[in-house]
Amino acid sequence: MKSTWPAITFFALAALGPVLVRDAFLLDSLILILLWGATAAAWNVAGGYAGQVSLGHAAFFGLGAYSAALLGTKWDLSPWIGLLVGAVLATACGFIIGFLSNRLRGPYFVLATIAFSQVFLIVASRWRGFTSGSEGIPVPFRPGFWTLGITDKRVWVVIVLVLAVSVYLVELYLERSRRGYQLAAVREDEDAALSLGVPARRLKVAAIAVSAALTAVAGALWAQYVGFVDPFYVFSVDLSVRFALAAILGGIGTPLGPFLGAALILMLETYLRARFGGIGAGLVGIYLIIYGTALILMVRFAPQGLVPLIGERVRRRPVAGAGS
Amino acid sequence: MHVIPQLVVSTILLGGIYALIAVGLTLIFGVMRVVNFAHGEFLMLGMYLAFWAFALLRLDPYVTLVLSLPLVFGFGWLSYRMVMRPVIHSSHNVQVFTTVGLSIVLQNVALVLWSADSQFVRTSYYTVVVRIGTAVLNLAQLIAFAVAVLCTAALFAFMRWSYTGKVMRATAQDRAAASLMGIDTGRVFALTWAVGVTCVGVAGVLLAPIYPVYPTAGLQFVLIAFVAVVLGGLGEMAGALIASLIVAAVEVVGSYVIGTAWKEVLYLLLFIGILVVRPAGLLGQRGAEAIGT
Repeated sequence: MKSTWPAITFFALAALGPVLVRDAFLLDSLILILLWGATAAAWNVAGGYAGQVSLGHAAFFGLGAYSAALLGTKWDLSPWIGLLVGAVLATACGFIIGFLSNRLRGPYFVLATIAFSQVFLIVASRWRGFTSGSEGIPVPFRPGFWTLGITDKRVWVVIVLVLAVSVYLVELYLERSRRGYQLAAVREDEDAALSLGVPARRLKVAAIAVSAALTAVAGALWAQYVGFVDPFYVFSVDLSVRFALAAILGGIGTPLGPFLGAALILMLETYLRARFGGIGAGLVGIYLIIYGTALILMVRFAPQGLVPLIGERVRRRPVAGAGS
Repeated sequence: MHVIPQLVVSTILLGGIYALIAVGLTLIFGVMRVVNFAHGEFLMLGMYLAFWAFALLRLDPYVTLVLSLPLVFGFGWLSYRMVMRPVIHSSHNVQVFTTVGLSIVLQNVALVLWSADSQFVRTSYYTVVVRIGTAVLNLAQLIAFAVAVLCTAALFAFMRWSYTGKVMRATAQDRAAASLMGIDTGRVFALTWAVGVTCVGVAGVLLAPIYPVYPTAGLQFVLIAFVAVVLGGLGEMAGALIASLIVAAVEVVGSYVIGTAWKEVLYLLLFIGILVVRPAGLLGQRGAEAIGT
């Protein structure tokens, strides 16, 4: 599926959403699909394209969320500035993490990223004086675009759509540019790539930094949209797994895959909420059991994800295959 | 400095328990090259087993301990057959996400079945305290330590002298060669997984009288076990043992000096430090981290 038509259709449909749909629930779903899709796609930049599979991306998401929320509540600054600060901080952290764990591969890298995100979780939940600790931060609602106090969900669709398309374009760049090819070479065989003069270390670190910055932007927007930042949620390993799962489900290393994966997860979540509504902890449990089972089955039977699977189906049919 | 004996005793007691959790984890990694992210959930299941045996059958946790051995081993074997066997030859990433998925499933099965409330195993000797010199310690802690040391020693002896242990070590050293020598590596993996799970399950039963039991109870311990396992050198059983004591010392002394709230940061920083400076750990082979095996 080298064609961009499915992606153009997907984003065009999303853009039509605010024009055609007035239902707040559907618009909310659309916003969340685009937002979680963008975070999964941002994860994909490091985990899919650079092969740096991380289970600590919640650290960057939380960094963005906290930057926007703290700058807003402490210094009365616009969340847009918070978003920018969060992105800069996450880039810096991405550089540090990428640089420090550069030698690590496979499970070692995964463990290192989990440890990093846990450090953030502990600092955010214990540093009561600055982050108000485990209670979390309610984000004050200040009406206006500059303060992101927006009640109209259609405006939110546009904002997250811009983010989603930006992340998609980054992925597309990695898919088609010289740098992207080099990165793929590093992912497939680092030693061989090094011997050909590919700056493997620099590329990997840069991929993690970019991925971190994009994740932080999503985190900042999420904090403003939801209105509350809970350290045990934004820095949790579960959230990191969610980013990874959406990318794996849709197709790791494919540009549109993470968005499809995010859409699928949200649909599952919504369906279960409607099906078992009102059970509380039981509902979350059942949802997560299905989610965990899906993860196990997915990596066993279709480790490449759904996009390549669908792509193969389409290509097998001679008529439809001509387009891709 | 009257606190020093207390700190030393606490370190050793805590280190013994951590060691039992860590050796199971490192054994699985050493032989199968799989990092088991569901390790903490097996610990949690062990804790619940002790809790339910105590609540429903009035069984003392230490009686449960003996009775649970075949049960935990069987559960480990079953989980290998159902979940791990199909991915045993897959890439690291597939294995990582399989065990992460298993961890999510087990955690939430516990949540749905038994709710998120903390449960307690209150034995009649719950408040009994033992004095060694100036140090004071809980009886349950002492028993847990003694049994953990016994189990760890038994595992070491098993790996060192038994035929099966030798077969497992041979598989750990060279899978292909072991296969060529007629070793059924599939069975070795199943056995390794089940033994590793049994170790951590036993640790869970031992911890139940000391710590509250809830669906995510395994998390805090498994993080420590990961630190110990990496510090000791992934796959190195003796390393895991020494590292467990070091981690316990960091935790105990850290809690005393800077307070319990920040102790986790200490061992996480220690963890990151090791990964950066010497990812192979104390006893591991240098360069293992770069091959990713």
